[in-house]
Amino acid sequence: MLIVLPAAGIIIYSLIRSHIMDGFEDKLRTYAWVVQAESIGDTSQPEKPANIGEPLFGVTHSGWYWQVRPVAGTEGARLVSDSLATATLPSPSEHNVVPDADGLFWLNTTGPLGQPLRVVEGRGRLGDENTGPLYSFIVAGPLDWPESRISSFALTIAIALTLAGLGLIAATFLQVRFGLAPLSRVEQGLAEIRSGTSEKLEADLPSEIEPLQAELNALIESNQQIIDRARTQVGNLAHALKTPLAVITNEAEERSTPFAHKVAEQAEIMGSQVSLYLDRARMAAQTNTIGRVTEVEPVVDALQRALERIYRDKSLNIDVDCEAHARFLGERQDLEEMLGNLLDNASKWCKRRVRVAIRASADPKRTGRRRVQIVVEDDGPGLAAEQRDVIFERGVRLDETKPGSGLGLSIVRDMVELYQGTWSLSQSSLGGLRVDVNLPAPLT
Amino acid sequence: MRVLVVEDDIDLNRQLVSAMIDAGYAVDTALDGEDGFHLGDTEPYDLAILDIGLPKMDGISVLEGWRRAGRNMPVILLTARDRWSDKVSGMDAGADDYVAKPFHMEELLARVRAQVRRAAGHARSEIECGPVRLDTRSARVTCDGQVVKLTSHEYRLLSYLMHHNGRIVSRTELVEHLYDQDFDRDSNTIEVFIGRLRKKLPTDLIETVRGLGYRLGDGADEA
Repeated sequence: MLIVLPAAGIIIYSLIRSHIMDGFEDKLRTYAWVVQAESIGDTSQPEKPANIGEPLFGVTHSGWYWQVRPVAGTEGARLVSDSLATATLPSPSEHNVVPDADGLFWLNTTGPLGQPLRVVEGRGRLGDENTGPLYSFIVAGPLDWPESRISSFALTIAIALTLAGLGLIAATFLQVRFGLAPLSRVEQGLAEIRSGTSEKLEADLPSEIEPLQAELNALIESNQQIIDRARTQVGNLAHALKTPLAVITNEAEERSTPFAHKVAEQAEIMGSQVSLYLDRARMAAQTNTIGRVTEVEPVVDALQRALERIYRDKSLNIDVDCEAHARFLGERQDLEEMLGNLLDNASKWCKRRVRVAIRASADPKRTGRRRVQIVVEDDGPGLAAEQRDVIFERGVRLDETKPGSGLGLSIVRDMVELYQGTWSLSQSSLGGLRVDVNLPAPLT
Repeated sequence: MRVLVVEDDIDLNRQLVSAMIDAGYAVDTALDGEDGFHLGDTEPYDLAILDIGLPKMDGISVLEGWRRAGRNMPVILLTARDRWSDKVSGMDAGADDYVAKPFHMEELLARVRAQVRRAAGHARSEIECGPVRLDTRSARVTCDGQVVKLTSHEYRLLSYLMHHNGRIVSRTELVEHLYDQDFDRDSNTIEVFIGRLRKKLPTDLIETVRGLGYRLGDGADEA
């Protein structure tokens, strides 16, 4: 805008200037022809031009002058307009001026009162066309006539363009403000997706941005599908490998040759490697999802049902105290794995009681973020301090008489760390182990 | 005790069946969900081992079908999918326990024993009836502390009666729970084995209730 408006202004100004100047010169040219025509009679003496049509030729020093006189070196009478009175106009042809296409000579000069004048001169012979005396017919007009018109126009143009400029700036401002408002809605929509409050971009957007919105939602959905597909494939791989491993293990365990022992040992190693990398693949897939949110209560209730049934022999009682709308910012399957392994561990070791408490709270370190706190306790033997250090190690089983692969709690630790949560072990008031886990929660 | 094994992998199926037979159970088996469902629906089993990933009809559907049809034998689910969400849905469908592959056969057998005992109402792994004690873990029978040697068929019969001691067990029930599908139901094998057991154990332990069946001990014993 800073370039276009002044450029336009300059162009318009120069066009008008040349238009007005041309009009001025046309006027002078016309008067020159009229003066010449009126002055030339049949004789070799000029006749006084009468009807020039500009009353200002009669006003002294008006700036409009005409002058008829013989060319230098020629004898003859001299006639001037009343306005010129006693002054003389210079003759452009005697000032080395080249004639224009019409044979006229132009010159800028100063008038008797010091006004700038434009002078035009035509030459012609009086009386006989070929032998009559050569005369100069000069008309002058005040340059301030066109100049004042040009200046006033320039002022008008300047004001008009300035106003237009200000108007455009204001319009642009508004346009940016309101035109970009949809983009700030997009930004907000994306923030909601990232924080888990919504699963797609649902803002009401103008048709120009609709393709972007559609593409973004399609991308989110295809991302989910890729992850779900990968997870299915991982699950299929698990099924495909674990059955043959079970077969090999059982076959080897029935024999007692060194070969059988070696096979059983290696099959066990294969089994835990398969579990390790499958767990990691599942976890890696899951952290890339955008803002999945899981209700905690249904998950913990389902686990309570399942575990109380599995450990019926013990008359296990799992006491669950879960805040009604506690939510976890992550995949449901991950929450199930973490809680499942924690509760299973507690159920396995407890005498009869397991206690679970789940609370949502604000994040003390980062404002605007929330956490969900999970506490699992049992009334079993608990852990000595040195046992607490190893309990999360993969494959470590503190009591070989109890069933299990030793993988459960290490999965919990890996997942908690993956979600950038925290965990800690301590003594429970019930007498056994207390595990505290702190995980991210969505904002609402 | 009669056990149903539903597992589609032929090798694993064979291993499970032979392990169950070695442990003293009569075993029927199916290689797909439809067959498995049909067997469990029509024959009386004391326990079923059910794989989840089955062709034709998946394990969870089979289990749900059984429970809907009122078949309440204990079911142990066997599967490679060991995520908690799978365990929960398995338990919700009506399973009693869940064993993930790969597993140690010993562990599976222990769980089978526990489920069978629990279903018969015995909380501990040893069952007593008068002077006779049956240790289900070691499959040993002692009478007044002395070990009693039994053949596998004799053991099976005694074990079933001990699990259901105090209650009358009909001959038909014995036949249905001690032998697999292929057994000839009309033979008098049961009577023969009852006779043999009576010779090895205190004579008044096994009571014949005319027209109804057999009963172990008297009602005062542990139920």
